[in-house]
Amino acid sequence: MLRIEHYSKTYPGGKKAVDDLTLHVRPGEIYGFIGHNGAGKTTTLRAVAGVMDFTEGTITIDGHDVKRDPVGAKRVTAFLPDNPDLYEFMKGIDYLNFIADLYDIPAEQRTKDIAKYGDAFELTGNLGSPIGSYSHGMRQKLALISAFIRRPRLLILDEPFVGLDPSASHIMKGYLADLCRGGSAVFFSTHVLEVAEKLCHQIAIIKDGRLVKCGPTDELVGDSSLEDVFLELEGDK
Amino acid sequence: MKKFFALLKVSVKSMLLSSTNSQGGSRKRAATGVGAMVLIAFLGLYMSGFYSSMLMHALAPVHMEVLVFIFMGMGALVGGLLFTAFAVKGVVFGGKDNDLLLSMPVSSTMLMASRVSAIYLENLLFALFVLAPAGAVCTFMTQSGVGHSVLFWVRLAVAVFTLPLLDTALSVLMGALVAFLSARVTRGVLGQNIVMAVYMAAVFWFAFNVNGMIEGLAANAAGVKESLSWAAPMLWMADGIMGDWGLLLAFAACCIVPFALVVFGLGRVYRQAVTAFAARSARNDYKLSAQSASGQKKALLAKEAKRFFGTPMYFWNAGIGLIMLVAMGAAALVMQNDLREFIGLLGGALPVMPMAALAMGFCLCTSAVAAPSISLEGKYLWILREAPVDEGSLLWIKTGFELLLSLPCTVIGGVCLIIALQLTAPEGALLIFSMALFAGCHAAFGMLMGLTFPKLDAVNETVVVKQSLAVMLDMFVPMGVLGLCALLYWLGGRMAPALALALPLALLAVFTGVCVLILAKKGPAMLKAL
Repeated sequence: MLRIEHYSKTYPGGKKAVDDLTLHVRPGEIYGFIGHNGAGKTTTLRAVAGVMDFTEGTITIDGHDVKRDPVGAKRVTAFLPDNPDLYEFMKGIDYLNFIADLYDIPAEQRTKDIAKYGDAFELTGNLGSPIGSYSHGMRQKLALISAFIRRPRLLILDEPFVGLDPSASHIMKGYLADLCRGGSAVFFSTHVLEVAEKLCHQIAIIKDGRLVKCGPTDELVGDSSLEDVFLELEGDK
Repeated sequence: MKKFFALLKVSVKSMLLSSTNSQGGSRKRAATGVGAMVLIAFLGLYMSGFYSSMLMHALAPVHMEVLVFIFMGMGALVGGLLFTAFAVKGVVFGGKDNDLLLSMPVSSTMLMASRVSAIYLENLLFALFVLAPAGAVCTFMTQSGVGHSVLFWVRLAVAVFTLPLLDTALSVLMGALVAFLSARVTRGVLGQNIVMAVYMAAVFWFAFNVNGMIEGLAANAAGVKESLSWAAPMLWMADGIMGDWGLLLAFAACCIVPFALVVFGLGRVYRQAVTAFAARSARNDYKLSAQSASGQKKALLAKEAKRFFGTPMYFWNAGIGLIMLVAMGAAALVMQNDLREFIGLLGGALPVMPMAALAMGFCLCTSAVAAPSISLEGKYLWILREAPVDEGSLLWIKTGFELLLSLPCTVIGGVCLIIALQLTAPEGALLIFSMALFAGCHAAFGMLMGLTFPKLDAVNETVVVKQSLAVMLDMFVPMGVLGLCALLYWLGGRMAPALALALPLALLAVFTGVCVLILAKKGPAMLKAL
């Protein structure tokens, strides 16, 4: 589903944020991407989502090269940044319809999906209010709904649990699993190692822009815990 | 006081940086900032100098120079209010760093004072640009010699420094009202638009009647001064500048007391006010019904329209030129007999169609809709970047949105002028065609400026719409093109009659072509690089 081959990102000034990263996410997989602050997680996720340009390597999503066919790649992708800023001059329902229009989602399908996810995240009643009046958690939920209604082949999430209440986190995890059962894939970054250990089929650990370890979660963790593995690799233990 | 100046420095620095672009090195940023300030200063000085000299020309012979300072003082007060009243909502009560600064160990009164002082400095700059030329005009155009004394300039300086205090106090009170309405009224945007419409109508009324007032002034200057007793502080200021120290001190007190009351009064409840104005609770009564679908382009256009009509600051600053364009056409229709009589009196000395084109072009220049649209995306840019829409389409939709607004206004205003001025069919067609071409060139140029000088990190939309370099260049460069067209018309007319219209049209076509070509070739890459 997602193939990252020899991807590198160098910022102006020469700082290498990511160095020669190769990583594959298969359909039906939830892939966790962990690392300390500034390790290169967000830079990678933004490049995969087509939000940020890069010079070295190739990234393909469901057969679409992010560089050569960006629109095709974006059509099968949904991206949620760590702190999603949404148009405050729009109402929640206007934003969902705006996104649905950009992805050519038929009227009947969007009505059904907005109702499904809106009710699940307990946001339907607030969809008539301006986004400017939403709390941080409500914005996060709205952004999540806007991602789910696209029925993406690849869902990219940057720190998705930040700002969500426990109930919403639980619901989201359920929908992530549903999405993967339908043949899609999820690629997400997190600092919550317990969640990554329980939720992910595969995990990659990145340090200073380089991939230091990746593989199936149970193989990677073994008899230890993900926290122990992570700290050992980071050299903190 | 150290803390106060640290806070003031932050506010002023943010204001000074507001006109620079967020890309590029510090030298480029500093150069663009200084360039923008010089441009504002030049325009302020020129406009004030023009009206001051016009007034002084009429009033000096009857020794009523004092009226010049009354009118210029009123102009500075009203202009300052226009500049800052709506900015107060964003700068004082809705600053994005409010949470950060309110958590600092400084009193809320000090924080409020630092914010308000930044607004004061902006008003001070405006008062300086309006009153200093009036002082210079008074020095050179009067026989009384009042302007030649050093004390006259000291008194003028007192007025320049104190008038903005009153302006700022009124701006903050109006801004607080706007912020309160925005937070409490369901249709807050509509309310703000109505308040702004009434305000603009008053400004237009004043502008349309100012020439008539000046003509009548000389005949009854003393009576006019008497009739302005309702604006007593302005009379005190003017009399004070002309030599009455007592009245000048009374005027200073009239400015300092309200300022102090506003700063200390609102400062005491600043934290509560910021909290109340920001607390817009989401209603929980929405019932989902069947949704309808539309295409990508329609959705993107609708988004631009929602932002334009739903943001009073954007609508009134970028749309004012288009409103003026239609209003000018309507006024020409209503006053067509007077207009024709005036043109007849000139006996064909005035090229009517080119003058109408210049007036329409000027209105179009002031409607910078596309130029700030990239900067207005700011923190929301990720939404468009993530969407399955190519960069080229995004740019053409933003450019097209300006044309969707400007072309109908151009046609309406143009047709009204054609009827009112009784232009022939070929002249009328040429007027509409040339202005439609100019509207296209303005939109494409504006988009290019928005891409070249983006301000994606602006603290609020006021900074982007009113003060960004992209907007200023989008207004003044096309004005320069219009000036060049007028020059070519004059030069062409001296060579051959056919060239008089052909040369300006050729210039417009070339300018439009170049802008469209650059936008098509480089625009998508520029957007991608942001």
